[in-house]
Amino acid sequence: MIGRHPFFPKKRRREPPVPARVETGRSRLLITGALFSAAFLVVTGRLIGVTMFVEKSQPQYSRTVGKAALKTGRANIVDRNGNLLATSLKTASLFANPRVMLDAREAVNKLAAVLPDLNSRLTYEKLTQDRSFIWLRRHLTPRQKYEVNKLGIPGLDFRDEERRVYPSAALASHILGHTDIDNRGLAGVERHFNQKLRESRTPLKLSIDIRVQHAMRKELAAAVREFRGIGAAGIVMDIRNGEVISIVSLPDFDPNRPSNIQPDTRFNRATLGVYEMGSTFKIFTTAMALDTGRISMRDGYDATHPIRIARFVIRDYHAKRRWLSVPEIFMYSSNIGSAKMALDVGIAGQRAFLQKVGILHPSPVEISEVGAPLIPPRWRKINAITISYGHGLSISPMQLVAGVGSMINGGIYHAPTFLKKPSGSKSIGRRVISAKTSDQIKRLFRLVVTKGTGSKAAADGYLVGGKTGTSEKVVGRHYKKKALISSFIGAFPMNAPRYVVFAMIDEPSGTKKTFSYATGGWVAAPVVGKVIARIGPLLGVRAIDEKAPEIVREMAIDIVTKKEGKRRLASF
Amino acid sequence: MIKRATLIWMFLATAAGIGLFVLKYKVKSMEGQLAAIHGKTLENLEAVHVLKAEWSYLNQPARLEDLGRRLLNLEPVKATQTIDIEDIPFRPVGASNGAARNSSLTNVRPPAADQVPPLFAKIRRKQ
Repeated sequence: MIGRHPFFPKKRRREPPVPARVETGRSRLLITGALFSAAFLVVTGRLIGVTMFVEKSQPQYSRTVGKAALKTGRANIVDRNGNLLATSLKTASLFANPRVMLDAREAVNKLAAVLPDLNSRLTYEKLTQDRSFIWLRRHLTPRQKYEVNKLGIPGLDFRDEERRVYPSAALASHILGHTDIDNRGLAGVERHFNQKLRESRTPLKLSIDIRVQHAMRKELAAAVREFRGIGAAGIVMDIRNGEVISIVSLPDFDPNRPSNIQPDTRFNRATLGVYEMGSTFKIFTTAMALDTGRISMRDGYDATHPIRIARFVIRDYHAKRRWLSVPEIFMYSSNIGSAKMALDVGIAGQRAFLQKVGILHPSPVEISEVGAPLIPPRWRKINAITISYGHGLSISPMQLVAGVGSMINGGIYHAPTFLKKPSGSKSIGRRVISAKTSDQIKRLFRLVVTKGTGSKAAADGYLVGGKTGTSEKVVGRHYKKKALISSFIGAFPMNAPRYVVFAMIDEPSGTKKTFSYATGGWVAAPVVGKVIARIGPLLGVRAIDEKAPEIVREMAIDIVTKKEGKRRLASF
Repeated sequence: MIKRATLIWMFLATAAGIGLFVLKYKVKSMEGQLAAIHGKTLENLEAVHVLKAEWSYLNQPARLEDLGRRLLNLEPVKATQTIDIEDIPFRPVGASNGAARNSSLTNVRPPAADQVPPLFAKIRRKQ
């Protein structure tokens, strides 16, 4: 018998008959039971879920230790063969908390014993300030850290920091640039790729080859010493894809010590400096004239008399005082011939051509130190004449190298780059002259070295070709007579040109050995020859027999010496 | 009187408790070991990093050139010293290969061991 139901005392308002009451009680019990079971089921399910499966929203209580990896604040920079050019090393930096320091005077005295170049007075002032954090010295060596620790001064502590280290020191200083004390890139690729270097951990691979870089730097430095120049620049570029293999500017600096860099060593003569390049511009003038089809290799111009225009007189340096054919104009570097060639093409044509080969725009290389070319505001006849032999228009050596590359690689312009292109990728470039014109320029390049002004650039076995360039420096509004820019732009091997090699010496003086000449042919051409002899084997260029009949045939030029006269086959 | 089932349950609960306790401490100690190994690995990676920097410092072309000049009996390859692989004749049958023993390569003195590079030497002497 069931009496009053103990659980639901309030609900008993009406008094139903007993069996019905029992019935109600039971069903209520059943519902309650079911509810409780459902609740327990949910709890059980949740328990299983939580213990067996991992949910995303769940906070992580357990540490999962992944693969140990070294984190550096800045990615490495490597050369094209993976040699380390810049890396970040961990160092300790010393800071003080003056509020917990007991005796600042004593601390300064003790520190001065360990860090001799510490400014005692300044440090004392720092340590007596009411602050809780103050830097005392950044980037201590491990030994210094140990010695400071041994002093046991309360209130001193270390913070781990990173320091940019350039193992090859000054070797690639201008292209790498440097960073400040907080590892922000301040120059070169360090600045241009600052964001990328900070975010990525994969090394930045440059197109530079440190072996070639070393050869170029060493030969340039020797030339600067020998001819007492004030600086130099050198570039090696792969003309099939625009990769810059080496780029040197002297004097250079040690990026490991950014605070000690002399201002004049920062100047990058290879990309930031713009110069009147002189006769190397005749490469463009000749290619332009040949490519228009207006003249052929057998045509020529009368170079008997100097050109008089406005208040200028255009003379030849190696004057022949006769009619000269195109190869002769190139070989003897005739200003008169080049001027007439440019006038034949016309002012608009010349401008459009130079635009095409990247002379009228700053070089697109990946550093911030790039100089804009100095272009005459109005391009008149006199400008066309002077520009035809490289005066009155200043460009950076990098622009010249990229432009000349396109003249001899079959006629394709490739934008120069400091980054290594992925192997197997093909650089497309854009056509600027026909393959036929390019082949003619190749022969002319070789001619300059075998018979012309560039004979000192020869490197046995590598079939060097090139063009000399000498110009007087512009100082203010006048040319400085004794200050020259002497350069040579060479390429090898001329039967299938692969690399352009450029060398330029800033303000060389002639020596006894050069009969006091300081022109491109005497000063810069030997540098290019020596560099090619050194880097040829490194770059895997196959040495060839320069006197082999098929090579001679490939490089042969019909040199016409008289107008509509007899022809003579150059036999070399 | 306690039923047998209750006893079994009590025993199981105690065993589970002890098991969990032991397991937890075991995991904790293993985690400690793992962290120590990771610390060690990181330390080694750092050392490798420093060594790589030192390696490239020691491999500066200028330094190698100087060492090569002073310590080796070799000089840079000239273009005239290279030939194509097709131009190399096969060795005549019966010729001995004793001639190669006298090449200058075997007369090379080893480099002096006491040369400590200045910049990275101090990094190496860590504490």
